[in-house]
Amino acid sequence: MALIRVEHVDKSFASRHGSIAIMQDITFEVKDSDFLAIVGPSGCGKSTLLRLIQGLDRPTAGAISFRGQPVAGVCTQMAMVFQSFALYPWLTVSQNVAFGLEALEWPKEKIGSQVERYISVTGLDGFQEAYPRELSGGMRQRVGLARALAVEPAVLLMDEPFSALDALTAESLREEILQLWRDPALPPEAVILVTHNIEEAIQLADRVIVLSRRPGHVLETIDVDLPRPRDRKSGPFYDLTDRIYSLITQGGAPLPPPSGADGRSAS
Amino acid sequence: MGESSDATVPTIFPKSSPTELLGLLVLLNGHKGSEDVARLADDLDLEIDEIFPSLEYAELLQLVKVTDGRASFTELGQKLVAGSIRERKSILREQLRRTTLFKTIVRALESAPNHQLSDEDLAQIVSLTTAPADEAVQNIVNWGRYAELFRYDAEAHRLILSKPAASSRSGSGRTPPTTGATPPGPPGSARKSNPPPPETRGAGVVPAAA
Repeated sequence: MALIRVEHVDKSFASRHGSIAIMQDITFEVKDSDFLAIVGPSGCGKSTLLRLIQGLDRPTAGAISFRGQPVAGVCTQMAMVFQSFALYPWLTVSQNVAFGLEALEWPKEKIGSQVERYISVTGLDGFQEAYPRELSGGMRQRVGLARALAVEPAVLLMDEPFSALDALTAESLREEILQLWRDPALPPEAVILVTHNIEEAIQLADRVIVLSRRPGHVLETIDVDLPRPRDRKSGPFYDLTDRIYSLITQGGAPLPPPSGADGRSAS
Repeated sequence: MGESSDATVPTIFPKSSPTELLGLLVLLNGHKGSEDVARLADDLDLEIDEIFPSLEYAELLQLVKVTDGRASFTELGQKLVAGSIRERKSILREQLRRTTLFKTIVRALESAPNHQLSDEDLAQIVSLTTAPADEAVQNIVNWGRYAELFRYDAEAHRLILSKPAASSRSGSGRTPPTTGATPPGPPGSARKSNPPPPETRGAGVVPAAA
């Protein structure tokens, strides 16, 4: 059974000028232990798609299911990591990591050890008492990661998690995500990464879903069958980058709009 | 530039964060552990001087060797990138403990009242008399916390000595605990992995024209 199934999902938002289609007819599956990347130009609905998958928002049409059950309301088997880290500045690192567990009403006596475990797993030992403002960007995103993993999600959703970080820090965290994903003793089983960075998608993912510009639809799903760590300067890597880049820049012709109302494309 | 050549005074401070340094090692690992420094930088669309601080510190911590503009893993560096996030951190911690800088800080903390030091004390102790002392202090504090050598109270701007791990063991043991004292060095073969303290080597870390 697929872990996640997204079937013919449309999403549009109402505006003063009528309904604006964000995405159309999106269909794909996420299998157990998948590392899936979703790339596409800005405004194609990548982040909205993640929100729909987690159940933070509902599709206008189509269906999303998790382990065969329709996603209705926020799915607690998934956790999100954000570009902006989304930490509470008035809470310490430990308290930030504990926050999700408290929200899920974990028993108090279990929260402490769970927090310790995920602080350690993400390399945050020594910063338990620190406040986010005392941390570098890389350390802040580790807190975001620890908080997400502490609830032991089956699926980790990542929305441009590295794009606010300097290049070396991002390189380090990308590789750590792979480590965590590959470790059978640790969550998550599957990762869905949304990024506008094509190289990043190819570097990390098993499969890359390429979305068109708005209204986003799936242009192609590309398998990345290269051994890790992947050499960005290798021929096959370069070919994939080139192919996805061409898809996005040329193949982005929108589907014919279902009604006359949409039309206002991103550029 | 005004830095003392006295070997007991630390002359090299971390100028990048632990995560950046790890990023550099991961990058080098993607190049099978040895690569021209300029090409490494180019791989991330960076200028050489943007990876230089991490490279310099990685060399100081004896994880990387730079020869003729080419960076290569040492045995320890290789071991680090092969390890888990936790294992990497513990290798960094051991290496950091052996630097003149952090030895000096820990010694100062041990002798200070309440085992505490202020930011200003720290700046003085490590002879940070020149301009961007704030940034240097911040980096040092960041690394020291990362390595759990001390805690830091950001409100009071005070470093606080971490309790030695041995104190949590309250058994009736006759043998004195071995932790807390200066460790004999990283575990493993003494023949291979116990080079002299890093800063006793030359200061020129990377050929300037790399």
